[in-house]
Amino acid sequence: MEPLNEFIIRDEKVFSGALSCRGCGWALLVRHLSSILGEETVYVLPASCFSIISGPYPLNELKGSVVHTLFAAAPATATGIRAALDRQGKKDVTVAVLAGDGGTFDIGLQSLSGAATRGENILYICNNNGAYMNTGIQTSTATPYGAITTTNPAAKIKDIWPKDLMGIIAAHNIPYAATASLAFMEDFRNKIKKAKETPGFRLLMVDGPCPPGHKTEPEMSISVARLAVETNIFPLIEVEHQNYTINHEPEKFTPVEECMKLQGRYSHLFKNGSSELVKQIQEYTDMNWKRLKDLAKSSVN
Amino acid sequence: MTDLTKAKTKLNSKVKQKKKISKYPRHSLKILKGNFAAAEGAKLCRAGFIPSYPITPQTTIVEELSSMVSRGEIDATYVNMDSEHSVFAAAMGAAMAGERVFTATSGQGLFYSHEVLHAIAHFRLPIVICNVGRPSIPWNIWSDQSDSMSQRDTGWIQFYGESSQEVLDGIIQGYVIAEKLDLPVMIVLDAFYQSHTSENIWIPDIDLVDEFLPKKKKSGNEIDIENPKSFGGLVPPEHYETFNFQYWRDINEVENLTNKIGKKFGKHFGREYSAIETTNIGPQTKMILVALSSITTTARGVVQNHPEVGLIKLKLFKPFPKKSILKALENISDDTIIMNIDRNFLGDKEGAVMHEMKRALYGKTFKMCDVYTGLGGKDVPPSTIEKIIHKGFHSPEDVMWIDFE
Repeated sequence: MEPLNEFIIRDEKVFSGALSCRGCGWALLVRHLSSILGEETVYVLPASCFSIISGPYPLNELKGSVVHTLFAAAPATATGIRAALDRQGKKDVTVAVLAGDGGTFDIGLQSLSGAATRGENILYICNNNGAYMNTGIQTSTATPYGAITTTNPAAKIKDIWPKDLMGIIAAHNIPYAATASLAFMEDFRNKIKKAKETPGFRLLMVDGPCPPGHKTEPEMSISVARLAVETNIFPLIEVEHQNYTINHEPEKFTPVEECMKLQGRYSHLFKNGSSELVKQIQEYTDMNWKRLKDLAKSSVN
Repeated sequence: MTDLTKAKTKLNSKVKQKKKISKYPRHSLKILKGNFAAAEGAKLCRAGFIPSYPITPQTTIVEELSSMVSRGEIDATYVNMDSEHSVFAAAMGAAMAGERVFTATSGQGLFYSHEVLHAIAHFRLPIVICNVGRPSIPWNIWSDQSDSMSQRDTGWIQFYGESSQEVLDGIIQGYVIAEKLDLPVMIVLDAFYQSHTSENIWIPDIDLVDEFLPKKKKSGNEIDIENPKSFGGLVPPEHYETFNFQYWRDINEVENLTNKIGKKFGKHFGREYSAIETTNIGPQTKMILVALSSITTTARGVVQNHPEVGLIKLKLFKPFPKKSILKALENISDDTIIMNIDRNFLGDKEGAVMHEMKRALYGKTFKMCDVYTGLGGKDVPPSTIEKIIHKGFHSPEDVMWIDFE
C-alpha cells in the first residue's frame, strides 16, 4: 500500500551536501519544491542564504539550472530568462525565483512589483526568516516587532511592525499568492503544485525556521513553525486575484508567547514575566487575524 | 543560404555596383535623427529582446523600437521595465539564455545600472546598447560624456560615433565584436547634437546585414534545460583570477578585432572603419587634437586651415586603442603638443581622454595638454577649437578650461 504521507519525496531533485545550518528551512523547502517543479526549471537566486546553500562555484546542489543574480534584480533577471525561453518555444519550463525576506521586502521590492504588475510567468518563492540572516542577522522590514537582531540589539529592540508583503502583493491582483509553512507539509506541497500549474505571476511566502537567527534549537524548527501558525503569528492563507482564503483555523486559542518563548530573539521580553510588549504583539496578531477573516469573508470565491 | 544563392547575391551586388545605382548598393537613403538611426541599427541586427525604460535624450530610441515591434517589423520581445537597473538585469537574463539583446539609456539610467553593467561584462554576455551621453548633477540633459566615461571600468567595450551613420554601422559591427569575444558593447552618441539632429543615413538592406551578422550562434555557455548548469555562484579565491585572466586575454583582442571588422565592414558595406582616425598628421605636425564624437567634425573643419595641427578621432575608447595611437604618432616630432579635448568631468584634475592618452604615451616626450570644454551640452563651435589651438601654441597649461581665464 502507498503511504498516505504526502511529504515523502520519492524522486530527489537535489544532490546531497546542502550547505545550510542545522534546522534551516531553506534545505527542506527546496527539497520539496524541486521534487514538484522537476528538472526543467530555471532557479533565479538573488543574494540570500540560499545563494550559499545551493553551492559555491563550481557546485550546483539542484538538479536544474541555477542563475545567481544581483540582490535587487531577481524578478527582472527572471523576466529576461522567461522571455528568452518563451521565444525559444520552452514555455513549459518553470522559472522560479528563490529569495529571502531582505531580497523580497526591501532591496528587491521594486523589481518584484514590476514583474508582478507585468504578470510575468514566474513563480516567486520567499523564504521569510525575518532578517538578513546570511550577513549575520540584521533587521529587515520583515523582522517581527520586538525581536532582537544585530542591528536592533537588546537596548534598542525592533519597534517597527513588519511590512504586510502579502497585502502589497495582493494589491497587484496576481492570480496566486499564498503563505506556507514547513510544519504543514501537505498544505505546503499542494500550494507548490497549485502555484506551478497557475500561469502568470505567483508568489509563495514560506515561514523560514532559522536556528542561529531566531536563537532556537535546530530540532525545534518544525515545532516553532507549527506554533507560529497555531498562534496566528503566521496564518496560512491563499490570495487569488485579491480573494482571500484561510487554509488553517486553529482549533483553540494559543497565546503568541507560546511560540515566542521558544525563540531566544524574544528572550528579553520574558525576563520579568510577560511584558507589555508581548501584550501589544498579541493585540496586533489578533487584529491581523480578524482582518484576514474579514477579507476572506468578503472575498468572492 | 546555399552557395548558389550566395554567389548570385554576390553577383547581383557586383552588377549593381557597376551600374552605380547609388553610392552604396543594397542600401536606401533616409533622413533620420540619430536616435532613429540607432533604432534602425537594432532592427537590422534582429535584436530579439528589448527591455526598456524612458530617459531623455534616449527615449525616442526605445519608442521607435516599440513602434517597430507593434507594427510587426521586427520579431522581438519588447518589455517596459520598472527601472534601468531592471532593464539591464532583464537584458542579462535573456542574454544568458542565448537571445540577442538591445537596449538604450542615458546619464542617470547608465549610472543607476552601474552594478548590472559589471555583472553583464563579467558574465561575458554579448549585449549591445546605445548610450546617449549626458551628465549627472548638477542636473542636465545635454551632451556630455561623463556618464559613459565614468563606466570605463565596468568592462564594457565603448565606441563613440562621430555621425549617426557611424552609430548605425557601429551597432552592426558591435554585435560582431561582442559575439566573437562574449563581451558587451556600448555605442555612445551625443545628446541632441546627434540624438535629435537629422542627417542623411544610408540604411543597408537587412539581407546585406544578415550576411555580415548571421543569426546568433550558441556558445555553449547559455542556460540549457537539457544540460543544467549553475551560473554565478560564489567563486573562491583559488578560482577567482582564472575569470579575470580569461577576460584580460580577450579584452586585449578588441583593438585588433575592431580594425579587422572595420575593414571587413568596408568591403561588405562600402564604409570602412578603424579604432582611431587621423587627419592632417605628418612631418609638419606641431599639435594634435584628440577628440571624440561630434566635436571631431568641427575640429576636422578647423584643422583644414592649420596645416601644422593634426587630429586624432577616437572611435574605440575602451579598451583604449594604444597600439593605433602609437602608430599614428610614430614619425611625429617629440615636442609635438597633444591637446586632449575632454567633454567629461569626473571630479579629477584631468579628464578621461587625458588620463587614457597619458597612459598610452607613457615614456614619450610629447607635451600633454588637457582642455575641458563642451560640458553639459555647451556648444563647441569652430571659434572654440581655434581658441584651443591658439592657447596651445601661445600659453599652454597642463589643464585648461577654455572659457575660464
